[in-house]
Formats: sequence, structure tokens, C-alpha cells
Amino acid sequence: MHSILRHLEKSAETWPKKTVYWDPEESLTFEELYREARAVGTAIGKIRQPETPVAVFTGRHVHTPACYLGIALAGCFYAPMDPTMPQARLRQILDVAGAEVLIADRDTEAAAREAGFNGDLLILDDLLQTREDPEILASAAEKITEVSPLYLLFTSGSTGKPKGVLTSHLALLSYLDGLQSVIGLDDTDVIGGQAPLDYIAAIRDMYLPLMTGGSTVFLPPALSAMPQQLFEALCERGATTLCWSATGLEIPADLGAFDGDEGTGVPLPPLRRVVFSGSVISNIALRKWQDAFPETRFINQYGPTEATGSCTWYEVPSPAEPADVLPIGRAYPHYGILVLNDKDQAAAPGEIGEICVKGPALALGYYGAPEQTAACFVTNPAEDRWPETIYRTGDLGRWDETGLLYFAGRKDRQFKHLGHRIEPEEIEQKAMTLPGMRECACLYQQEKKIIWFFYTGTPEPKELTLAFRKDLPPFMVPRKTVQLEDFPRLPNGKMDRNALKEQMVSRAARKKRM
Amino acid sequence: MEELLEILQELRPDVDFENTERLVTDRVIQSFDVVALVAEIDDAFDVKVKPADLLPENFDSVEAMWALIQRLQDEEY
Repeated sequence: MHSILRHLEKSAETWPKKTVYWDPEESLTFEELYREARAVGTAIGKIRQPETPVAVFTGRHVHTPACYLGIALAGCFYAPMDPTMPQARLRQILDVAGAEVLIADRDTEAAAREAGFNGDLLILDDLLQTREDPEILASAAEKITEVSPLYLLFTSGSTGKPKGVLTSHLALLSYLDGLQSVIGLDDTDVIGGQAPLDYIAAIRDMYLPLMTGGSTVFLPPALSAMPQQLFEALCERGATTLCWSATGLEIPADLGAFDGDEGTGVPLPPLRRVVFSGSVISNIALRKWQDAFPETRFINQYGPTEATGSCTWYEVPSPAEPADVLPIGRAYPHYGILVLNDKDQAAAPGEIGEICVKGPALALGYYGAPEQTAACFVTNPAEDRWPETIYRTGDLGRWDETGLLYFAGRKDRQFKHLGHRIEPEEIEQKAMTLPGMRECACLYQQEKKIIWFFYTGTPEPKELTLAFRKDLPPFMVPRKTVQLEDFPRLPNGKMDRNALKEQMVSRAARKKRM
Repeated sequence: MEELLEILQELRPDVDFENTERLVTDRVIQSFDVVALVAEIDDAFDVKVKPADLLPENFDSVEAMWALIQRLQDEEY
């Protein structure tokens, strides 16, 4: 079967004693990874039918990808969760996933119980001791196909509930193969991984080594704002490859990591390529990276979780200038990109339309949400000769004359903050559950990367922030919370969002002068 | 130190800064908090926090941050 599991098996044969993963405390070889995955696969295969979800609550260590792959070997799909998320959020995610089995570490077990999980709770350390049963694994393998689900990942949803994006084996391999054909890793490459393991971006860090014989070092999250230690950790393992969010690159650049005179900045690892995605990168930050790493390839990627990682790429050809607008580029192999105008026809060059994606890398849909799936995964209206599924991203874009794609904002109010996709409606709905709230609006100030929250009603701003902190992931909590007497209004009495936006900008500027 | 506390409280009203240690080590404050915080500290205290100063031990508690600010202010002269 065309699957990452084939690569897992082959990599263990080809590079058995080579290290595939490092975390700050441990490492695993390809052989050990395969053994651990088969142990987990046997344990899960004994108790679960294929094509059912298994929730994963484990920490950021080398055994977590082994756990994911083990679940896949059992024919099941993994639904990874970050145990440090607020309880209310975990409850929602567990509810959407509906998993009857959950795998945790000893130190995250309590968090799973507190989040209300009352099914079968297994401890990863115990599962790793399971004696492999080839019959169970063979029988599981027979029951799934390329389009069986592999994982279920969660993103912000405008209905106030996270959406579960369900992705197949085929989709993952399609993306990884397309990416690998562009970035060309080999068995000497070391990936410096920052992406949380429950997040889409981690598929590159976890799975590329299985195809190439390279390795990945999982960096501790506390380092992301500590450039000196971050770069020391990258140098220690000789990292050659970074696949980071644009924000992940901006943070060390903004904190002055590369500003020192020769020899006084952070130590520089032997980077061959830096791949970034998640939001539009600041040209100033990109230029600082380019100047620090003049021989390194810099590749901009674009794409939603629903298209499995990224669907377009653009290699930055020259040092970035402040006024440059970076294209999101062209389609990766295995992807088709359409820009549909408001008449649902292919947009002409220069014309803005909705970016749509087709091909085998599309997600299977939103888990347990047929209406949401039907709204976004649609039959291509511009193709009347055969039925073809496309995913409507809700992103706007335009082609230039040379066939490069440019990003042009959103159709709805969704924004990208620190690499995460956020539906402001989700934050607003949370606020409206507080007693005394009257009306509210969540806005994003792109230039300053600040989430603003304006509202009318009786709760104090601090009360509101505490409620957000309690229920939302940290990246979704508004930084500025402003209580208003009333909202600016349009003549028809509706909230005037443009006027509110102006208020936001002037408030930010006023603060600066003080 | 009052001013620093005010900055911190505005940034993260949900954290009891006076009684929390290991702020960075335990990820009570996260990378995007640190970026915002460094910009505010630079502005408010007229110092320049350099990458070499960005160590968990300098940001794990209010006292540690205050000690760092004072050291940076001394270095200015």
C-alpha cells in the first residue's frame, strides 16, 4: 500500500542503526522506531477495529511519532492533542473526536481524565512493552487502503467548536513527495523541528526522515523565544533544514539574533534550506535570515491543513527588499490550484478570486461534520466533463502573467496569528457565554500581530481575559481587551467594523506615544 | 519594579507574577509573550535586551527580569 508505513518499514531495513529522532533527553534509531511502532500497533490492533480514532495525549518526545505510527499500523487513525491546552478546549476536541481509546504518558494521564475522558486510557510506556504480533498487524494492514484515514487534526472553527480535519495515507504521501521533490533532502540532512507534534506542520519534521534517511531533532518549545539557546541546540545536531512557521523565523530575527557584529551573534548552524509557511513573512525578518545565511535556500510555502501541509511553493530568488510582495508561487507536484472568480470561472491573470485546491492531497473532510465538509469540499463548478472535488480555501489570490500565485487576503474574517488559523467568531462566541455581555467584536491588527477584543457589557476586561485564558488555546487569547460604551454604527444600526478598525489603529498609536 | 509588574500584568492579567517562578521554563509565558515583553522593556526602561540576555534564568521571575533591567541600565553608563 502507498503509505508512510511502507517508508517506515523500508527505512528500518536501510538505515537500522542510524538515529531518526532526538529530543533533549532521548533518541531513537530507525530500527527502534519501527519496533516501538509495531508494539503500539499490536496493542491497539488487539482492542480496536481499523478506521477508528485513537486520541493521543503524549508529550513532545521521540516516542510520540512512534505512537502515531503504531496507531496507523493498527489501521486506526490518531487524533493528537496538546495536554497543556485549557481543559475546556480539550473537552471540545475530545467530543469531536469521539475516541474510545486514549494514549497518554504517565504525567499527562491526569490531564486526560480532568478533560473528561472516560474511555480506555492506556499508558504509552506500557504499550511499548507489548510483544509484537505479526498476525494482528498483517490483518490490520489488509483492512485499510490508501484513502483510509491516518490522522485527525484540529483547527479553529467559526461555529465556536474546533474543526477536525481528517487526512488519508495517500494525502500525506502526496504532500511529502511533492515537498521532497522541491527541497531534495538526503540521509545527511538534519531537520530542526519546532512545530508542536499535534499540529499539521509537524508532519514534515516527523515523516520526511522516513523517506530520506535523515533525522529530526525535536527542539524544546521554551527555546523558541531564547535565540541563543535555540541556535546552540540547532548547531549541536548540525541542523541543515528548518521547516518553520513564518512567525518562528520572525521571532529570533525580531529579538536581534542576527544583529550582532561578526562573531557576536548567535552561532549559525549549517543550514541548506529554510522552508516557511503559515502567514505572510515580514520582509525585514526574511532579509535578516538571508543575510545571516547567504548560501541557504529560502522557500515560501502556502496551504491550509485541508490540503495537507502546503500546496504551493516559491523559492525566494534574491535578498528581500522591504517593498517586495512575495508570491506564494506555484503548485507542488500532486496538487492542482484554481483561482475561481465570483462567477465560479477560472480567473484571468491579475483578477482576484478564491484559491481552490484539487488532487490526491486533499483531506477526506471534516470529521463528523457533513455540512461543513459539503460547504468546502465541493464539485469543481468550472469542470462539467467529469466530477472533480476541489477544496475552497476561503483565501483570495491572483495569478500574475508568468503563472505565479499571489495571496490576496480572506473571503471571511479568518486570520492567521503566529502560524495558527483563527476564526474570530470562535473567540466572540466564547465571550458571549459570559453573563452581562452585550455585543462584541474581535479584530486582528496584522502589522503589530495583536488580537483586539472590543465589547459592550458589564464584565471587566480582566474578567474577560481570565475567561479566555481558561477556555481558549493561548495563541487565541486577545492581547488588548477594550470595553466600549457603544460600538460605532452604520446608518442601519449595524456595527461599523471599518470605523472600529480605525479606532483600533489609533488606540495602538496613542499607546506608543505615551 | 512597579512599572515592570504593570507591564507584565497588562500583558498577562491571568498570571500571578509576584508568586510565580520558572515563568519561561514551565512555559507560563510563551514565545510571543517574550517578544512583546522585550519590546516593552526596551521602550519603558530605555535599554536594549540582546539575544545573549534572552535566557530562561533572566525571565523566569519578576526579580530576575528586574535584575536584568538594572544590569542593562548600568551597562549603558
